[in-house]
Amino acid sequence: MIELQNVSKIYDLGEIKVTGLDDISFSCEEGEMISIMGPSGSGKSTMMNILGCLDRPTSGTYLLDGDNVSKLSDDQLARVRNKKLGFVFQSYNLLPKIDALANVELPLIYSGQDHRHERASKALEAVGIAQRANHLPAEMSGGEKQRVAIARALINDPRVILADEPTGNLDTATSHSIMDLLTDLNKKGITVVIVTHEEDIATYTQRTIYVRDGKITEEKRR
Amino acid sequence: MSLWETIKSAWQSIFANKMRSSLTMLGIVIGVCAVVLLVSIGQGFQTSMTTTFNNMGASALYVSGSRSKTVTIVRPLTMDDAEALTNKKLAPSISVVSPSMQSNVTVQYGTNSATVQASGVTPVVTQIKNYQIDKGRFLTDLDGENKLSVIVLGYQTTQDLFGTESPIGKYVRVAGGKFQVIGTLQKLGGMGGDSYILMPLATMQARITGGTDLQQIAVKASSSDLVDLAIAEITAILRARHYIATGAADDFQITDMRETLTSMQSTLQTFSLFMGAVGAISLVVGGIGIMNIMLVSVTERTREIGIRKAIGARRRDILLQFLIEAAALSLTGGLVGLLLAVGGAALMGHITLGSLSVKPEISGTIVLIALSVSVATGLLSGTYPAFNAARLDPIESLRHE
Repeated sequence: MIELQNVSKIYDLGEIKVTGLDDISFSCEEGEMISIMGPSGSGKSTMMNILGCLDRPTSGTYLLDGDNVSKLSDDQLARVRNKKLGFVFQSYNLLPKIDALANVELPLIYSGQDHRHERASKALEAVGIAQRANHLPAEMSGGEKQRVAIARALINDPRVILADEPTGNLDTATSHSIMDLLTDLNKKGITVVIVTHEEDIATYTQRTIYVRDGKITEEKRR
Repeated sequence: MSLWETIKSAWQSIFANKMRSSLTMLGIVIGVCAVVLLVSIGQGFQTSMTTTFNNMGASALYVSGSRSKTVTIVRPLTMDDAEALTNKKLAPSISVVSPSMQSNVTVQYGTNSATVQASGVTPVVTQIKNYQIDKGRFLTDLDGENKLSVIVLGYQTTQDLFGTESPIGKYVRVAGGKFQVIGTLQKLGGMGGDSYILMPLATMQARITGGTDLQQIAVKASSSDLVDLAIAEITAILRARHYIATGAADDFQITDMRETLTSMQSTLQTFSLFMGAVGAISLVVGGIGIMNIMLVSVTERTREIGIRKAIGARRRDILLQFLIEAAALSLTGGLVGLLLAVGGAALMGHITLGSLSVKPEISGTIVLIALSVSVATGLLSGTYPAFNAARLDPIESLRHE
């Protein structure tokens, strides 16, 4: 499903060049649930950005679902993000001025699809938050917001969900319920990649990759 | 993202910031209102002027005593002068000669009274001016020959003195004397107004002004290409009759109405252009206001742009979103401005300054122009901010607080 082949990311800051990723190769099978761990500055965010098609590698190849996406244009990447990927962020990243339902509908608008209300309602139902459909993000708890974000990530039936510290702003109980939800989705066949620095979150996943200084230092299977 | 969705979300965004949006629109509102109102006033003025000139006889030449300060001796125009102009041998290019005398008088009927302009005229005046009988009859040659004390009333004077009462055959007091109303005239409109009375020229000279002097002789050329020739004939005849030495200045003046009309129209055009420019400046200022706010808005919504990009918005989706938002803002301003202008125009139509009443005319063309200009202003001033927004890097934007 996901395959990085000798991927490097070098940031050119004029006089100095900063290496974000240094010749990383790794793959993730369809239906797998993995976690990426590492201290800040390790390159795990850079890795997440490349996996999420928000950025392109300086060199190397990224195969997503069999397609080489490492050389696509901005608009082509936008298309891939819309169709194949779902994002879950630490800070939820919901639009503050529209309600939960409208937030979930957004990806459908950009892919130009119909029956948006119905589909968004179903997605909210699927993550167990249908009763909050017409509430603004500000009127919801962190856990509820993250569920809305997951519904939004699911709306276009993505192959992969990328979660960047999905429980970073949540208390322990809520964190576990969100992880349970992601585990459920994984059981339904969606590949899940989670970036985290909490070991007990990583234990939910089948495999953990440790990143340091832009390199994969360790891989642990459970 | 479909255009309709984009428009909808633009509206949401405008409504989410009501105060800011209305202040931003204000420039466009004022600009569009000013342009539409001023152009409409110009248009109304033009119409009113054209009516006036048509009523006055736009193709006529008006001969009157010289008002030039360098002419020391001015012989007044007389009935004999007018008579001479009708000489077909000396003045073959002249077809109508209409002498007249004017004086301001007070007309009374019962307790009603009005101060109006009284004109002593001959029946040929109808070939110069657009007098249409409403009730009764017009003046005849016989009225003049017998110096009858009869008058014909202008539309407004009829209203002022008689209201709904029928004036025909009634007696009124004009400058103290008793006159019988024999006819009333239809509304002329335009700037000349309808407050006036007409009486036979001979009656006027005998009973009101005294003497045989004339104030004015209106002359019509046989055809429009003979006007210059007619002017030459008038000049020759009057110079001879007034014993004006070769080289000396005329002691009379000839006004060609068409020239006056042309010069007034060109003045009006300059005025309209000037007003349009004033409005255009305020549109430019309004446009800058929109650009400013859109730039602020892009910065404020950097994170939103990042989120939208992350979930699949392409560059052109973002570009379009901000462009449409700017255009919608501006168009709304334009619509409000237009409504204000329509209201203002309606209000102005009810105001009369003396005999001057101008009804602003809002044409479909100016409405269309105003609205498309406001959309164009929005698009133009939205372009730069929208490009800025579309160019934003999704990763940077998502990190933006």
